Amino acid sequence: MGYFNNIRETIRTIFEGMAITASHLVREPYTVQYPDRIDLPIQDTLPFRYRGLLDVDLEICTGCLACERACPIDCIVIEAEKNKQTKEMILRRFDIDLAKCMYCGLCSEPCPTGSIHHTPEFEGADYSLESMVRRFVKAPIPAYKPTKGPETDPEIAPLLTRGLRYLDEFASPGDSK
Amino acid sequence: MSTAGIEIGLERETPAGLETEEMTLNMGPQHPSTHGVLRFVVKADGEVMRRAIPDIGYLHRSIEKISEKVGYHGFMPYTDRVDYVSAMQCNQGWAMACEKLASIEVPRRGEYCRVIACELGRIASHLISVGTTGMDIGAFTPFTHALRERERINNLLEELCGARLTFNYMRIGGCAWDIPPGFVKRASEFVEQFEPLIDEYNELISFNKIYVERLANVAIVPAEMAIAWNLVGPNLRGSGVKYDVRKDVPYSVYPELEFDVPVGTGERGTLGDSYDRYMVRMNEMKESCRILRQALGGIPEGPVIAKVPRTFKPPPGEVYVRVEASRGDMGWFVVSDGTAFPARTHIRTGSFSAMAIIEELSKGLMIADLVAVIASLDIVAPEVDR
Repeated sequence: MGYFNNIRETIRTIFEGMAITASHLVREPYTVQYPDRIDLPIQDTLPFRYRGLLDVDLEICTGCLACERACPIDCIVIEAEKNKQTKEMILRRFDIDLAKCMYCGLCSEPCPTGSIHHTPEFEGADYSLESMVRRFVKAPIPAYKPTKGPETDPEIAPLLTRGLRYLDEFASPGDSK
Repeated sequence: MSTAGIEIGLERETPAGLETEEMTLNMGPQHPSTHGVLRFVVKADGEVMRRAIPDIGYLHRSIEKISEKVGYHGFMPYTDRVDYVSAMQCNQGWAMACEKLASIEVPRRGEYCRVIACELGRIASHLISVGTTGMDIGAFTPFTHALRERERINNLLEELCGARLTFNYMRIGGCAWDIPPGFVKRASEFVEQFEPLIDEYNELISFNKIYVERLANVAIVPAEMAIAWNLVGPNLRGSGVKYDVRKDVPYSVYPELEFDVPVGTGERGTLGDSYDRYMVRMNEMKESCRILRQALGGIPEGPVIAKVPRTFKPPPGEVYVRVEASRGDMGWFVVSDGTAFPARTHIRTGSFSAMAIIEELSKGLMIADLVAVIASLDIVAPEVDR
């Protein structure tokens, strides 16, 4: 009797499962086609905190090296020196090895202006490791010097607004938000 | 003969002249059902295993040593890689160890954020576990159902911390990000929709007769054996031992939340078989939903992170903290010598002891059941080696 009971049980439970599978024919599909088939580009649908490829806004980089120190795998290399006469920081090199980067976000946290930040870009595949090193400084440029009061330069102000909003997203210690 | 450094003697007694050769098979390192890079040396007599010897070390990344080089803050992203299926609890373990070293108190809102993130991570991890259990023994559809729900959790966690797998959400002293606007509503919606789906999932596969036959009465671990072999988490609870770090060694805000600890009952076979371990995970997801509902409803106001200096130098000393990770009691042992780098870190993980028991369990099982045993013990290869 146990033998036939087993067969009956098997058939019954298989049909129970099949009924659930069949009900999915009329449910709304959950998958979408990559890359298009949706109204917006995929990058626009990602949340603001999404940690994609790193980018640097050199215009608001202060050359403080906080990101280089915070990076646990040393994928950021910055060379900055102080001009003796003008007491201005000069950025000579700002390289990020995106092949090494593990997208942890520890570099963007201590940045005082939000210059180094994650973008929603994630399509970074390439054929050589060499091309994955992003060299942001083409020619030595002076580092950004924070002004007292609001920024007035029309080119820098929007960048700084974006950067500070990015920093605001991180929970700063002792902040009651 | 020597295999993987272990001497194996033949244990069979057959009449003289009738000895047949014992098969030595390699399962893995690249095998679809080994959940990562695992290798088993299987000594088989036909279809019946004499022994399956686990060979570990294929995924060793010396994470413990790395901690001595990158410092306390910088090690946080590496803890994601200890157990990448449920990275949140690893984050919490490291953060708690450092907080205990330096006596930092985490703000209550931070603790709630942690609990919410951890329980979402636990559901995601158990979904992978139960889904792959089905897939490993031949049922593909439940896996797609499990991953569909996990995708929604990933979306929630992506919103919370910006990554879908290696979260790096927690910091020493709290969490890196506050709960985003609208998150509580979306998470609550998910919990409400997800709980009935557990029952549907049970109907789909858990009560399927063929499935039950494959898991019930296979690889029975009695309670004494489970304790003797140091099993933890759902594997231990599957044997009927009611032990949960969240209840027995309370941490974070778990004492304030109401939940039960599901244990195996031997409902379809013997207490402590593979089916019990599987069902414990199913029931634990329901409990996680309960915790989530309470935690999402009671998030206090305030900061999420305490003031911690950027150059973190805890006083000399050593601590051991334990968290209930998805694969059980996860211990973090940290020795500080007063500098910015830990002198020694050790991580005790659940998969490692689960891996050890396989050799004992595999005696006399069919080769096809080895897959069910690996899946029901929920072994995640990176957690074995670190």
